[in-house]
Amino acid sequence: MAKNKRKVFGQRHVCSRMNFLYQAANLMAQNNNNTLAAYYGKLCRNVGTKAVMHIAPAVKRTLCKRCSLPLLPGVNTALVVEQEHEVPSTAKAGGKRRNRRRRRRRRGKPAKGQANAEASGSRSGSEQKSTTIDDNATLQLQCGLCQKQRRFCVDAEKECWLERPEALAQVITMNARQGVAALHRDSYSCDKPTADH
Amino acid sequence: MEPLQEYLTDLVEPQHRQKVNIIPDHITMLHSTKSKKQLSRKRRAHKSRTLSRRDYAKLGLHTLPTRQMRYEQALPLHKLWKGYIREHLDLSEGDLVPEVHDPRYEEFSKQLVKIDLHGAQLRVIQSKCPTLVGLSGICLLDSKNVLKLLGEDHRLRTIPKSECVFGMLVGNMEFTIFGQHLNIRPAERSVKKIKGFIEPFM
Repeated sequence: MAKNKRKVFGQRHVCSRMNFLYQAANLMAQNNNNTLAAYYGKLCRNVGTKAVMHIAPAVKRTLCKRCSLPLLPGVNTALVVEQEHEVPSTAKAGGKRRNRRRRRRRRGKPAKGQANAEASGSRSGSEQKSTTIDDNATLQLQCGLCQKQRRFCVDAEKECWLERPEALAQVITMNARQGVAALHRDSYSCDKPTADH
Repeated sequence: MEPLQEYLTDLVEPQHRQKVNIIPDHITMLHSTKSKKQLSRKRRAHKSRTLSRRDYAKLGLHTLPTRQMRYEQALPLHKLWKGYIREHLDLSEGDLVPEVHDPRYEEFSKQLVKIDLHGAQLRVIQSKCPTLVGLSGICLLDSKNVLKLLGEDHRLRTIPKSECVFGMLVGNMEFTIFGQHLNIRPAERSVKKIKGFIEPFM
């Protein structure tokens, strides 16, 4: 345990640096300075790679995968909510084979449970769904800089391992003195998933 | 095909050129090098995900205009950096630089080398190039060999690290940084092992 503690302490400075760079990237993105925002975002990621330190997946997803620009919907990102039953029409328009395959897989799952409900009231259902977001909807984020599109599932049950409470091995709270922005970062265990299998 | 036949006939002695008869079937043309289609599927998929250097430049991410950014726009970054440096060096209000005999000294100086300079207020104290001396500003970009400082006159200046000595003010502490020893890529600096004793130059 003592050994582990010392190891984490050594990474503390890297952690605070990454935190600072992430905040700086967001600050620059709000000022519409894309060059610097992408540069700080990329550097934040690179520091993490060099020091072998992982960013929490929820935070990582806010950076564009391609150009590392912090994605702020409404500022530099287009956010579109897609409904599941509308997907077949858009699938024809989209020419990419990979996307089509992914959609087919997604379409297959809810068909069993929802087939009856959609058949009975498909018109009223579609009107309702346009205003409310249900679990089957997908979020589409398009980066304003490099036009990279990413899709995320709204469904709260589909989460990756690191987001589950079982994955949490140890919580380290960094007690920053005085008015410094308090920083919480959970340490996730990388050993646990392998131990379970 | 035509230039090849011409070339071959040119090699023959002039009086025998009439007799030359080239059968086109005997010529096999070789195609050019590996075509783009032959890239493996894995690589193609990877290509769309990452931004190549050329795409990166095309988006204008390498260029920082000299006169675009105002000094006031960089002030929030400087404020953020102040919070960061206080957290990084574990400072409290009114702390002084630890003396050489202080047990904290070694740890402190090691962390000082590893700090991130983006957002720091820097000033060139000494330089091999006399025109650079006295320039000051907020550091916006830190690369292996160069720092970009945004001065109070809203101008972005590029300053080589290796020739200069920088001064940095944190609270009531003043640091002198020899730029020669900052010549590491910023991402690697936080991991780099630092020697206990480095000779200053000049």
